[in-house]
Amino acid sequence: MGKAIGIDLGTTNSVVAVMEGGKPTVVINSEGNRLTPSVVGFTTTGERLVGQLAKRQAVLNPENTISSAKRFIGRRFSEVQSEIKNVPYKVVAGADDAVRFMVRGKEYPPEEVSAVVLRRLVEDAAKYLGEKITDAVITVPAYFNDAQRQATQDAGKIAGLNVLRIINEPTAAALAYGLDKKGNETILVFDLGGGTFDVSVLDVGDGIFEVHSTAGDTHLGGDDFDKRVVDWIAEEFLRTQGIDLRKDRQALQRLSEAAEKAKIELSGALETNINLPFVTADATGPKHLEMKLSRAKFDQLTADLVERCKGPVERALADAKIQVAQLDEVILVGGSTRIPAVQALVRRLTGGKEPNQSVNPDEVVAIGAAIQAGVLAGEVKGVVLLDVTPLSLGLETLGGVMTKLIERNTTIPARKSETFSTAEDNQTAVDVHVLQGEREFAKDNRTLGHFRLEGIKPGPRGAPQVDVTFDIDANGVLTVAAKDKETGKEQKITVAGSTQLSKDQIDRMVKDAQAHVEDDKRRREEVAARNGADAIAYQVERQIRELGDQVPTNEKARAEQMITQIRELVKNESTDVALMRQSTSDLQQLAHALSAPAASESSATPGHAGASHGAAKPGNEEVIDAEFKQTK
Amino acid sequence: MNSNDINGKTNVIVPNPEIEALQAQVRSEHKMYLRSLADFDNYRRRTEREVAGVVQRGKRDLILAFLEVIDSFDRALQQAGDAATPLVEGLQAVHRKTLAMLETQGIVPYRSVGEPFDPALHEAVASVVSTEYPPGVVIDELERGYRAGDAVLRPARVRVSAQP
Repeated sequence: MGKAIGIDLGTTNSVVAVMEGGKPTVVINSEGNRLTPSVVGFTTTGERLVGQLAKRQAVLNPENTISSAKRFIGRRFSEVQSEIKNVPYKVVAGADDAVRFMVRGKEYPPEEVSAVVLRRLVEDAAKYLGEKITDAVITVPAYFNDAQRQATQDAGKIAGLNVLRIINEPTAAALAYGLDKKGNETILVFDLGGGTFDVSVLDVGDGIFEVHSTAGDTHLGGDDFDKRVVDWIAEEFLRTQGIDLRKDRQALQRLSEAAEKAKIELSGALETNINLPFVTADATGPKHLEMKLSRAKFDQLTADLVERCKGPVERALADAKIQVAQLDEVILVGGSTRIPAVQALVRRLTGGKEPNQSVNPDEVVAIGAAIQAGVLAGEVKGVVLLDVTPLSLGLETLGGVMTKLIERNTTIPARKSETFSTAEDNQTAVDVHVLQGEREFAKDNRTLGHFRLEGIKPGPRGAPQVDVTFDIDANGVLTVAAKDKETGKEQKITVAGSTQLSKDQIDRMVKDAQAHVEDDKRRREEVAARNGADAIAYQVERQIRELGDQVPTNEKARAEQMITQIRELVKNESTDVALMRQSTSDLQQLAHALSAPAASESSATPGHAGASHGAAKPGNEEVIDAEFKQTK
Repeated sequence: MNSNDINGKTNVIVPNPEIEALQAQVRSEHKMYLRSLADFDNYRRRTEREVAGVVQRGKRDLILAFLEVIDSFDRALQQAGDAATPLVEGLQAVHRKTLAMLETQGIVPYRSVGEPFDPALHEAVASVVSTEYPPGVVIDELERGYRAGDAVLRPARVRVSAQP
């Protein structure tokens, strides 16, 4: 069986989503958009244009371009008289008082037009996913009656779909927020779309949703808000310039776009600029439009529209016999719920409850439908829900620093290796201190375990290579292994329940880390400076030893003095980062100077040093070889 | 599991519900495994495509906003008409330079006037009765259409001739 998709078949726009790897994803259509206009255009050549293309030719072909088919689907001709007045195409009565669209001399039932949209959505989804689509869940408004639901299902059938289920839009929205998994809850869904407004009150218990009441306004939406802005701009322009832009088709189009853009910007900003140069012209020459619109002014222009949302909310609550205090959740659906004044109204009407709005309100219904489709197709159940590590995992390294191997929120199972080395010359054992947490320093984090890897072949610091592997399985069981590359010696520890922390504990640890971020960063810098200084001191000391008599006495004395100074700083755990960095760079320069004359004086010397290295290496490799043989 | 009397005899054919259950489980686990592998593979491929797309889209959004500025330029030059003042000539040079810059990004305007209306290329703003053109032909370009490579970056905004 192919994938099952979820379709939000909207009045103005439609959205498709699908479950992938247990997560819902919105399908991008062939034009690269997430929304597809629910518009079908019948051309003179008999072609059926869908979506954006249909919209582009609507002006030329208004009587054969069907939009808002959803307002007619499954209804009787006698019921839709008021709707007919709002559309430019011809609606007639078919047999049994059925609604028919009259297009180019032919009658089409609304479900057939919806089917054209659906087919296009499915084709785009198939292209996007690279597989055939046969099954779908389609959403409808909660107030749709049986005839309307049946007609929507028929539209799916005409489009060649196996309609797994027709579900209510508010239910889909609740599913998108995972509210089916909570206990008994009462939910209010506030859906203000492009042209329609719906309020629903539902109950969920044992994963079953029940719609208690619905209310709304079939002709209220984002378009009305745009129009208020258009009118305001046009009136202002008329007042100052004496020209009514609404009478000029081209100017009006630019104005409408600018108005919508301004509305969208005012959801995030307190003021926006509307700038339309050369918007029109008269005998005196070109005219430009430039004005500012503040959010306060926008709110004032649209106050009555926002106020119109109030009645349906109160009615829905009253019909459901629910007190505001009994509401557990509020969900915002539809792009217009991004308007701050609308959100403020919802908060006011629902007793200050913080509404759910983390899922894109344009897509939340399709996402919920996709989740339902996934469940019905047996996919959601089949997908193993992968857990994540709630906190970072790592080990303690030089200077008491925690080095993270697995970052928090990594999906498990996960595995990560890193190579570490020794901090001292001839160190034969390393301590592996396994840690969990977000702080920079080992001592501030939680210890999960300790172990010691012994038998490392003595060598200069930094030379031995120890591979440390963190492996956390799907159950959160962490295994940390350390292996000396040279000897092959290995030691490991297993820690169960590294993910079994209470949410409070995790939150506390993450918050704690955030609170100390500056402090930790500074301390970490100090440690890094000390480690860097110490490393250079060690390196130069070794260089001097290797170069022997070739180092001029003066320079040698100076270097040794600087090394002593650095060692002192490190030993006293100096916090003077600048001083340590300065000393490090000074010593580094001196080291360069030391090796340069040595190189120019005798070209044999570096070659000799190289040779001694080279000689040691193959020897070492032989040893490794032998040891591997032994272990076999 | 089976009665004792068949013990010792050949009982190979006796179905073992436990084994069957386990086999079924293995099959379903394997199916799930294949499914997630496939999901991941598809996801990875599409993500690669999308990452390229995101870069393109980011560029596209920027250029689309920039095209509005060029539209204003077009309008300004249109207003200037044939007046060959140094200022207008200068503006025309800036305009050419801007278009040349877009061209280096593979973005070029296309001509629409005189072409049959095509919703893939044109967005109709109005229809106008015309004696000059047969019906269904673009008679006027209000905003130019642009192509990015082979694809339409932005359709032209046009007026189309209607039957007299």
